[in-house]
Amino acid sequence: MTATQGRVEIRGLSVGYGGEPVLELDELTIEAGEFLSVLGPSGCGKSTLLSVLAGFVTPTTGTVLIDGEDVTDVAPNRRETGLVFQSYALFPHMTVRRNLEYGLRTRRVAKAERDERVRDALRLVDLADFADRYPQQLSGGQQQRVAIARALVTRPRVLLLDEPLSNLDAKLRRQMRHELRELQREVGTTTVFVTHDQAEALALSDRVALLAHGDLEQLGTPEELYRTPRTRFAADFVGAANLLPVHDGDGGPTVLGRPVRLAGSGFAGATVALRPEHVRVVEADGDAAPATVLSVGFAGERYEYRLRTEDGTELLASPADGGRRFAEDEPVGLTWADDALLPLGAA
Amino acid sequence: MAATRTGSRSRSRDLRGHVAAIVPTAFVVVAFLLPLIGLLLLSLRPTDTMNNVLPGFTGAQYAEVFGTSYLWGSVVESLWLAVRVSLTCLVLAFPLAWYLARSTSSVGKSLVFVITLSPLLTSEVVRSFGWRVVMSGEGPVNVTLQALGLVDESLPLLRSPWTVFLAVVHVLLPFAVLALSASLGAIDNRLLQASADLGAGALRTFRSVVLPLATPGIVAAAVIVFSLSMGVYVTPLLVGGANQSLAGLRIQTEAMVAFDQPRAAALSFVLLAVTLAVCGLVGLAGRLAERGRRA
Repeated sequence: MTATQGRVEIRGLSVGYGGEPVLELDELTIEAGEFLSVLGPSGCGKSTLLSVLAGFVTPTTGTVLIDGEDVTDVAPNRRETGLVFQSYALFPHMTVRRNLEYGLRTRRVAKAERDERVRDALRLVDLADFADRYPQQLSGGQQQRVAIARALVTRPRVLLLDEPLSNLDAKLRRQMRHELRELQREVGTTTVFVTHDQAEALALSDRVALLAHGDLEQLGTPEELYRTPRTRFAADFVGAANLLPVHDGDGGPTVLGRPVRLAGSGFAGATVALRPEHVRVVEADGDAAPATVLSVGFAGERYEYRLRTEDGTELLASPADGGRRFAEDEPVGLTWADDALLPLGAA
Repeated sequence: MAATRTGSRSRSRDLRGHVAAIVPTAFVVVAFLLPLIGLLLLSLRPTDTMNNVLPGFTGAQYAEVFGTSYLWGSVVESLWLAVRVSLTCLVLAFPLAWYLARSTSSVGKSLVFVITLSPLLTSEVVRSFGWRVVMSGEGPVNVTLQALGLVDESLPLLRSPWTVFLAVVHVLLPFAVLALSASLGAIDNRLLQASADLGAGALRTFRSVVLPLATPGIVAAAVIVFSLSMGVYVTPLLVGGANQSLAGLRIQTEAMVAFDQPRAAALSFVLLAVTLAVCGLVGLAGRLAERGRRA
């Protein structure tokens, strides 16, 4: 199925409760069929954005367009959006089938078509045998799939997902991540996925909108966000980068006392981001930046270190090259490839 | 060994749990169940012509209750009053309870709370006399009606059964509001949002989500209000006088005026049986409604 509908445009949006703005978006366009993640810490305004799209919150200023139609003042029940709640919000007094039929009955879909669409939707989420169960008789993962099926069966113009994976255990969450992505590819519905989990956002999305304090911090593909974070916040929130100051040395800029090659000039006071997986931990020697191991943990493929350099900077390292395990309090050296340093903009 | 020790320990904990229930149970038995049995025995006693209680057992009192329209009719009247009061209280209580359970305005909530519950805070006697004043020949209702030219002379409102009905609704409304707001408050707001998001308007959300989930509260409110209005006594007595065909008043007359204690006891038990039967039916209807939706 190719996406022909579900283009969302947000213009000059400002939302506030009691005079204080909690979300401000100058411009955000979600293409038809796109999977957009809205990523940010709690209180960044991401849930508010979802409520605005679903119609439960009316913005102070600005417009929301779906397929060119201004829906800013359209009531939630006339928006043709499909919202999946973090808590699933399945109707406890209805069977799975009745839950799915609900949105079709409100649209006065005839019984024959209703039955067929419910059957298809249940097959899509692999729950064909559970139609006559009640929500409380299902596991968390099954309830979650029912919630998605209930939203999708109405063929919404936009699918809105509010942290739908956060109530699942870690293993199931990773599995559902893939299923969600495959499902979205299959139905082609424009999807807005709200999450505070950067790994989910990176794994699932066509594009990620990073929000902080109610503002759009950065918008881009997962690769762009990871490889070229524009701000300290973006570098830190996506991939937990070490933020290191650049000093002006005799022979050019240095980071942690090591000379580095950076494009441009005038680095005093600048900051670079260095991802933990790009830090190499080696035997202490002259060329490497000296540091001490504070703690070390085993994470399967690699060791994760917490280190302190001579000038007191603490940083994380999870080198990819395996190597030997350095013990706590052991002096080590740190190196990195020049292109691993990501220069950040101001602030 | 360890298993038996934990077994005996959990058994002694069970025992302690029972002990905690013994005192209140004993209180209920002594203060309620024993007198009730005494009353049942009394209703089976024969009487002489002076209404003195005689030894022996007889069903005559019950035959009398069912055979006399003066007595049996009062049970039917009480039933009819209780049905009207219960339905009216449910309809009036629903929006109030909804507001109490879901409004975000704490000022508005406190205001509604105090106004709705105020009948519980004043004595039934004071409240009933209030209704007397309001509905009397020179009371505000009649004065207003006459000033508007709607009636020529003051209406005998106090003698109207509708005044008693209104006063009883007023007394019992708080119980319905309390019972309903508990179950309405338990409905997750996100279910209402989910319903709207799936395309349902307010009416459908009410019918398909709110009503079914409020069923336990509706049943509780109906049972409480119904039972209380079946036995209501002080309010109709003070508002409409002793000479109304209501079971509570008739029982009082039989016991305290005619001094026919066994007949008063028999009438009490007929009233109790009808009340329990209706409450049972209401509970059954609630359960069937829930199961019917599940089918």
